[in-house]
Amino acid sequence: MTHCGACDGKGKKTFKDGVLDNNPIFAQVLGICSALAVTSKLETSLVMGIGYVFVLSLSTLVVSMLRHTIPHRIRIITQVLVVCVFVIILDQLLKAFYWEASRQLGPYVGLIITNTLTLGRTEGFSIQNKPILSLVDGVGNGLGYALVLAVIGTVRELFGTGKILGHLILPATIYTPNQMMVLAPGAFFGLGILIALLNLTVLKPQGKKK
Amino acid sequence: MKRNLYTIFYAFVLGVVCALVPTIVGEFTAPYREANARAEEVRNIMHVLDIPIKQGITSRQLVDQFESTVKLRKKGNLQMYISYDTVDTSKVHAIAVQFSGSGVWGLIKGFIALDTDMVTIRRISFYQNEETPGLGGEIGTEWFQNEFIGKKIRDDSGKPGIRIKRSGARGPNEIDGISGATLTCGKVQSVLSSIIEVIDKEVGFGK
Repeated sequence: MTHCGACDGKGKKTFKDGVLDNNPIFAQVLGICSALAVTSKLETSLVMGIGYVFVLSLSTLVVSMLRHTIPHRIRIITQVLVVCVFVIILDQLLKAFYWEASRQLGPYVGLIITNTLTLGRTEGFSIQNKPILSLVDGVGNGLGYALVLAVIGTVRELFGTGKILGHLILPATIYTPNQMMVLAPGAFFGLGILIALLNLTVLKPQGKKK
Repeated sequence: MKRNLYTIFYAFVLGVVCALVPTIVGEFTAPYREANARAEEVRNIMHVLDIPIKQGITSRQLVDQFESTVKLRKKGNLQMYISYDTVDTSKVHAIAVQFSGSGVWGLIKGFIALDTDMVTIRRISFYQNEETPGLGGEIGTEWFQNEFIGKKIRDDSGKPGIRIKRSGARGPNEIDGISGATLTCGKVQSVLSSIIEVIDKEVGFGK
């Protein structure tokens, strides 16, 4: 199979960049506020991650489709507006069909609008690239973000409560849950250590090239 | 000039479209969202009334369970949620009343449930507050709300009201306050006292 025409052969690299090499959290260090806030449990991390893929991929697609029509002077506010539409839709859907998660995520669904990563992708990529490639970029970055959330969520829930998705994995006889992991410091330490580990291993060759 | 007009026109059209789409989705999801919000309210009332809630039931089932076990009765300005004994269904089990009032930063809302004597507190919940997290926000926690269980809503001389003290709560209507949250405690005390006055006016204690 040849490259998909709409991506000019850049699709695969764009996707891999988003998920791994230029991961929003590990490499770009964007969007970490929500990554710290919603990851006390795996369930909320997953819901937020999936919701974010939805918002980011559709926003990048729509912004890219509009890119030739958007007046230069109001391009940022236009992008924010497009993002808002999808965030509101996500928020309403969660409130209607996944109330429990919506309650636990609280204001953080709405705060996707101000997530630096969102505007970073629309302004930094979609505004200059074709729609399908922008969609690939959005999905890639969204998944990269969701992946990190899931990893931190798993670590924090496991060491904070001994459970994963509410199922007991480490009984109190083997491991005494450390409340700190569920609280804010756990998020900072967890994320910091993970970024350090990934920079030492997976991202190391990238760093050397520079 | 032409470019300016284009910009204004573009912003206008985009604004309309971006307002329309969420509105349509909002209309579509409204019944589901309202059912969930109602279930949340019902869950709060059932919690203060000490009615056990089955795990993992849907919003609709919860509202059904609520409507079959709890009756709403009005008396003057007072709305009372009354639950009945599960065995002898003519016997009142507990009475819950909603209250709301201003806290330090925003509205405090909650339910207070009383025993059949209309004096003893069965349970209390502050389900909505915007107090400072870690200080006044502690009123939303279990330990503070548990302090109210078994307390009276009048003092020994029969004067209605609740007193939240800095320390050394001894009387039947006195509660130990939260350190560092003197202002919130004062607000809570006045919010509770005003609803207790209404209860006293409309039903009277044990009358």
